[in-house]
Amino acid sequence: MSQVIDPTVVPLRDPTILDRATGGVRALGRFLRSKPLGGSGLILVVLFIAVALLASVIQRHDPDEIFETQNPDYKANPTTLELARNPDIGSPVLVSQFEEPGGGHWFGTDKFGRDIWSQVIHGSRLSLIVGLGASVIAVVGGLIIGMISAYYAGIVDLLIQRIVDMLQAIPFLVLVLVFTQITERSVLNVVLWLGVAGLAITTRLIRSAVLQVRESEFVLAAQVVGASDLRIMIRHVLPNCVAVLIIAFSIGIGAYILAEASISFLGAGPQGIPSWGQMVQAGRGSLDLHPWQTVFAGGAIMLIVLGFNLLGDALRDVLDPRLRGA
Amino acid sequence: MQAYIIRRIIGAVFVVFLVGTFSFFAIRVLPGDFATASLGLDAGSASADNIAQRKADLGLDLPIGEQYANWLWDTVRLDLGTSFLTQNSVWYEIGRSLPYSIELGILIMIVGFTVAIPVGLISAIFQDKALDYSLRGLAILALAAPVFWTAAIASLVVLQWDLFLIDVIGQPHLWENPGKAITWYLIPMFAGGFAGTATTMRLLRSQMLEVLRQDYVRTARAKGLRESVVIMRHALRNALLPVLTVMGVTIATIIGSQVILENMFNIPGIGNKVLTSLFARDNPVFQSVVLIIAVFTVLTNLVVDILYGVIDPRIRLS
Repeated sequence: MSQVIDPTVVPLRDPTILDRATGGVRALGRFLRSKPLGGSGLILVVLFIAVALLASVIQRHDPDEIFETQNPDYKANPTTLELARNPDIGSPVLVSQFEEPGGGHWFGTDKFGRDIWSQVIHGSRLSLIVGLGASVIAVVGGLIIGMISAYYAGIVDLLIQRIVDMLQAIPFLVLVLVFTQITERSVLNVVLWLGVAGLAITTRLIRSAVLQVRESEFVLAAQVVGASDLRIMIRHVLPNCVAVLIIAFSIGIGAYILAEASISFLGAGPQGIPSWGQMVQAGRGSLDLHPWQTVFAGGAIMLIVLGFNLLGDALRDVLDPRLRGA
Repeated sequence: MQAYIIRRIIGAVFVVFLVGTFSFFAIRVLPGDFATASLGLDAGSASADNIAQRKADLGLDLPIGEQYANWLWDTVRLDLGTSFLTQNSVWYEIGRSLPYSIELGILIMIVGFTVAIPVGLISAIFQDKALDYSLRGLAILALAAPVFWTAAIASLVVLQWDLFLIDVIGQPHLWENPGKAITWYLIPMFAGGFAGTATTMRLLRSQMLEVLRQDYVRTARAKGLRESVVIMRHALRNALLPVLTVMGVTIATIIGSQVILENMFNIPGIGNKVLTSLFARDNPVFQSVVLIIAVFTVLTNLVVDILYGVIDPRIRLS
């Protein structure tokens, strides 16, 4: 029998921490049941976060380790003729490049004899940092600019909106490529610029939410009693925009991960850290015979973006059904 | 209505001006310039004098304000300058590369919409059935897969089964040698179409679901119209409108994926020009190419908005 809860009955005792915790678990359970796709997205995301955190534990091999095998044809002092027939004959070991996936190397090895599984595992770190970091920057920046734009209307709003139009008239990838070249391509800088490139979308989304809230009567009431602009924004407008903020944060992540993968694929990504986009590119050189590096690295990109997109879609449906399909 | 159109056109021109200004300053803010880079290639010969001389030749030694004023005046007169890299006029470069991009862009859109519209339609009709779930799943996958990966996997399949030979040297246009051109465009057009229209499919589905609940659809059914007529004539037409409004965004997405695809498949189009001119710091070409892309997206948005205003009076009054 299902439990019937009357929403008008106020619980007598204060919710304790334990109650709140079980409430959270129950809400999560409800979310998973009503949104199976969002639930699987959540599982994917949690899985990737776990992989990124435990990369050094589950890597099986060092991602930079070069594997070698004994050379069966090895000869200590080959003649010139023998060397001409088989250039590798003089070396006792061979780099075990392009090994097929198997027990030793789950995903095989790449051109330089490195373990692809470990590389893919370590690549998850960059994607997560980029996706989450850029989205935080875009939402925080978008919140500030969007609020100013919506609250002060007039010429400021007009100017900001035209700049947003400008940023949206340039393909996102081109914008990101230009921005990331301005500074040294460290991970931090790339995250920062991706966030800046994403400002246009978040600003627009948050601005329209603030505009809606601004028309409410409680804002008018606050103005009547003489609350300052800052107070109204922080105490009255902001709490009513939280749903939009969460949506703006979660739906952007996948796009930032894809953008980073794309610029890495084009050879303009962050330097000094394993990147999936770069692996897809590296594997393309021998795609016809040894496709595994490209297949697995690209598959990882797809899965992580899929996870974030599914989760974001479900959160959007739950928090603000009006934005469906936006 | 006229006032609305005029207001929109002024706004559009201003946005294009902003994009031009942005790309002008962006390419100059980036570290390195063409003069230094081109001389740096032949090692040792680049002295400070040489670089200064080259900069003066290219007009890069002028104060930034003067350069900007010159650029603005030239651009208004539609003089886009000369490419640093090839010494050809920028118009010539654009004239050579734009047709490739338009061809590929149109092919991507054809593939995208011929997939997205029926799929979105079927998905909405069979709401919450297995078919709906699998089609939506496919759309979500298409949205998540990076376009360069889809293209790489597609070329892998083609290579593995010797489906056809991709000629990487010939670069024929569709009207010159349709058969050869199509094999050349085949993978990028499907990869781009697959990625570019997942959004369209999802939007169409949710719009269809909304429209199918409207009273006029019920009326149409009550009149005894065949279901196919109800869906095609009454529901789909209304559901397509919002899909058209996001056309500007769709086109921007497609151009973005074209930058990657043209690079991957050696298509000498505008997307490829963006990359080469950006990396070579070929200022005149970069500025102009970004400007042209912007004109394209802004114009699409403008036309769509005006048409929408014509169709739906509520828009132009707001």
